[in-house]
Amino acid sequence: MTLKRLFAFLFLLLCQIISAQNDSITKLKEVVVSDANLKKYSNSQSVQVLNDSIINKNQSSLTSLLNYNTVIYFKENGLGMTSGPSFRGTTASQTAVIWNGININSQFLGQTDFNTIGTRDFNSIAVKAGGGSVLYGSSAIGGSIHLNNDLQFKKAFSNHLFFSAGSYDTYSANYRTMVSSDKYSLQISFSRNSSENDFKYPGNTDQKNINGEYYNTSMNTTFGYKIDSNNTIKLYSQYYDSERHFSLTTPTASKTKYDDFNTRNLLEWENKFDRFTSKLKLAHIGESYKYFSDINSKLFTYGKVETSIIKYDLAFDVNDKIKLNSIVDYNRNKGYGSSINNVKRKIGTASLLLSHLVSDKWDYNASIRQEITDNYGNPFLFSLGTRYQFTDFYRIKLNASKNFRMPTYNDLFWEGSGNPDLRPETSYQGEIGNEFFTKNFTLSVTTYYNSIKDLLRWVPSQGGGDNWSPENTKKVRAYGAEVLLEWKTKIDSHNFTLNGTYAYTVSESKQLISGELVYKQLIYVPYHKLTGSVSYNWKKVSSYFQYLYNGDVYSTPFNNPATKVKNYNIGNIGADYDFGKKNSYKLGFQIFNIWNENYQPVISRQMPGTNYTLYINLNF
Amino acid sequence: MMKRFHKLFLTIAISSAFFVSCSNDDNDKQEPRGNYDGGLFIVNEGNFLTPNGSISYLSDDLQIENNVFSLVNPGKVTGDTPLSIGFNGDMAYIIVNGSNKIEVVNRYTFKSIATITSQVKNPRYIAFANGKGYITNWGDGNVATDDYVAVLDLTSNTITSTISVVEGPEKIIEDSGKLYVAHKGGFSQGNSLTVINAANNTVTTNFVVGDVPGSLAKDNGTLYILCNGRPSYAAPETPGKIVKVNLSTNTVTSTLNFSGVTHPDFLDLDNSKIYYTVGNSIFSAPVNTTTLPTTETFKATGVASLYGFAVKNDKVYVADASNYQDPGDIYIYSTAGTVLNKFGVSILPNGFYFNN
Repeated sequence: MTLKRLFAFLFLLLCQIISAQNDSITKLKEVVVSDANLKKYSNSQSVQVLNDSIINKNQSSLTSLLNYNTVIYFKENGLGMTSGPSFRGTTASQTAVIWNGININSQFLGQTDFNTIGTRDFNSIAVKAGGGSVLYGSSAIGGSIHLNNDLQFKKAFSNHLFFSAGSYDTYSANYRTMVSSDKYSLQISFSRNSSENDFKYPGNTDQKNINGEYYNTSMNTTFGYKIDSNNTIKLYSQYYDSERHFSLTTPTASKTKYDDFNTRNLLEWENKFDRFTSKLKLAHIGESYKYFSDINSKLFTYGKVETSIIKYDLAFDVNDKIKLNSIVDYNRNKGYGSSINNVKRKIGTASLLLSHLVSDKWDYNASIRQEITDNYGNPFLFSLGTRYQFTDFYRIKLNASKNFRMPTYNDLFWEGSGNPDLRPETSYQGEIGNEFFTKNFTLSVTTYYNSIKDLLRWVPSQGGGDNWSPENTKKVRAYGAEVLLEWKTKIDSHNFTLNGTYAYTVSESKQLISGELVYKQLIYVPYHKLTGSVSYNWKKVSSYFQYLYNGDVYSTPFNNPATKVKNYNIGNIGADYDFGKKNSYKLGFQIFNIWNENYQPVISRQMPGTNYTLYINLNF
Repeated sequence: MMKRFHKLFLTIAISSAFFVSCSNDDNDKQEPRGNYDGGLFIVNEGNFLTPNGSISYLSDDLQIENNVFSLVNPGKVTGDTPLSIGFNGDMAYIIVNGSNKIEVVNRYTFKSIATITSQVKNPRYIAFANGKGYITNWGDGNVATDDYVAVLDLTSNTITSTISVVEGPEKIIEDSGKLYVAHKGGFSQGNSLTVINAANNTVTTNFVVGDVPGSLAKDNGTLYILCNGRPSYAAPETPGKIVKVNLSTNTVTSTLNFSGVTHPDFLDLDNSKIYYTVGNSIFSAPVNTTTLPTTETFKATGVASLYGFAVKNDKVYVADASNYQDPGDIYIYSTAGTVLNKFGVSILPNGFYFNN
């Protein structure tokens, strides 16, 4: 009886989504995706793909793109400043960022600063909700973000130029050229973003954003060469250079700045023989930062880590329906810096993955992974998932997985404070997804439960002194529901697209308050987040409206109501006109924060009021 | 300005006359000089890099009021990490570390008089001598050689000169026209004491007292310095010590060493007794003790993280930083360890400043 009622409840209220955009990847046979396993082994989970038309409509930071289009909440410390995600109620280091299949979360912090990733360098960005450590390793607990460069093998030559100028001397430029044949494919892109970022605070005040200026420059190269029908060489490369001044919260505070320099290189040899596909990947990831505690001084503190990865992925198609992958991976990095004294870390992993299409309506996948390292134990991970299509408009998905996050360089090796005896954070989670779909409509409702233990936190040492060091501390239980919606319709030559996301999130840990242990919501996790967008296209005119609602968040572990960060509603609009005939030459404008909402996503971190951008977008 | 000064001077003269000649009971008849006459202020640091520091006030009749600076001075915020308060005459000087400023207020009304920002960089503590204020400054925390003591003209509220000192000047105390500066070390670990002659604003001497001198208190010609010892993250780790310095000869007269790698945190003096803390334990001994007590006097029960400490008139004041993010509490104990009172204050309470 109880089970039945539970099932009915799940069926009615809690479903999950599939994104219609998911299928666009495979439409063109000649397009080779950088990370084939993402699609192959994520059928039982929710994957939302943001293609380049969505990327182009949004501002260039990964924070902005995901904030307005996904369920992920961002703790952004002021416009363009450091920014960390909370995906399904997890911490910022429990979301993995995957660049062409390679995990690029910082070795120092275990997380990615989402304002140091420019979106226009990528052909598509996919958002996978839920655990993914078997495929993507550390941090894929709340979910993972996939930055993908695709290669196309057909005769083509194209250029893309984007330039925008906006309020506060904000400029964004992106140039991309692609040249390809059926033998080779080359794509090169440059991006540059900069801003004085000196906006006046909205409301009745003379205060301005002081010391908020930033710039970043990046270069991306993607190259593929088909040696013969069985052998392909691929090369992916990215260089990213940025400087950000950190905006002040009081006008007389000391002015500081922060430089990032990141390099990513990946060489891949794909070889097909019979029913086997082997991929040998060599990667080198470099990350470095410099922090200047005084912008006028040449003195800085710094850190640098270089990671080398060798990965071998052998896929074996037993038949059309049963597919296997075995992956071995060896990862070695070394780091040094002002507070890290020449340390090394070596990690080996082995994974086995199975996907089985039992019938047209039913498939499942099962995968395991073993980590081997001397730094933090040897976690064993798994993922099990299945989906079943009941009718031609309804499908259910189930997934359960064990995931982890390894201690960071800072946690382990920070001089004097690092703790070599840390365990990884471990998460067990399960989810149920329901998908409803018709030709022009998809709705997914997913509910999940995630239990995370051994959370790594820096706490004051016992016994006096001012030493803080990391420890495996509390447990977190996170559960909630996500709704994704897409609807497209066409009336004569009027095209409408509606997208929406909603997340209800409870993420709690026990706090000792006046001698009593009580569950409290994690800081900077909203119970409610809602996004929506409406696009309207008519002949050569296209326009859109974007909406974001972030509910109240607590800023203290005991959930002090007096220091709650107030909810906020942001609306953006944009429109452009295509002057081109054969090619596309678009001229457009955008108005951000149309209601001049006066808001601070983090206490004392002010965001701008209404602001404007003009842009051109040329494809030739 | 002059008129107000005269009036204030008169008030002080009259009130001190009262204190001298009258019993406590007669205090009621005295006109209070403002809403904050008597009692004590508590400095709440707030979160670093966030302007949510604040000042709380506990009156003599034990009424707590939080965020007094912003309440009395609408539109003004205390700022990013207020660290300490110094009193001189009718003025209170709030040293706001992260915001690089000093808020000057009337100590009885808390009305803002001036905000000093010029030549203030990473300010820590203030003391007064020879009609001037002396403020310790770290400068850029990453630079070991730019630390200084700023000299504040108390009539114009401007910094008139700076005195260069070795890295990490922290607590500062005045005695007979001289200033004693403990070099806790800033971002590093210091071990010395600087003596400044207020008559010519020059450094008289600097000498080693012990690793990481964190607290200063004086009594009867002796300066008591509590050294925290080098922490575990700054090898070689060393235990703390209490060092006594003769204020007339500027020499170390005796040292009380802690055992093992014990790190005492705070020290205060009251009624010829030394009080100090190790973790949440409170210890006490007569000022002339030659050995450290082996057992604690009492444990500060209920306190999650002891972050501020003072002893006055046989009452022990403890600030609890809680989890460093939620509002903290202050506890008042008897010297036997009985909790007499507990009050909720703001984020990261770090010290007590008695307004009399």
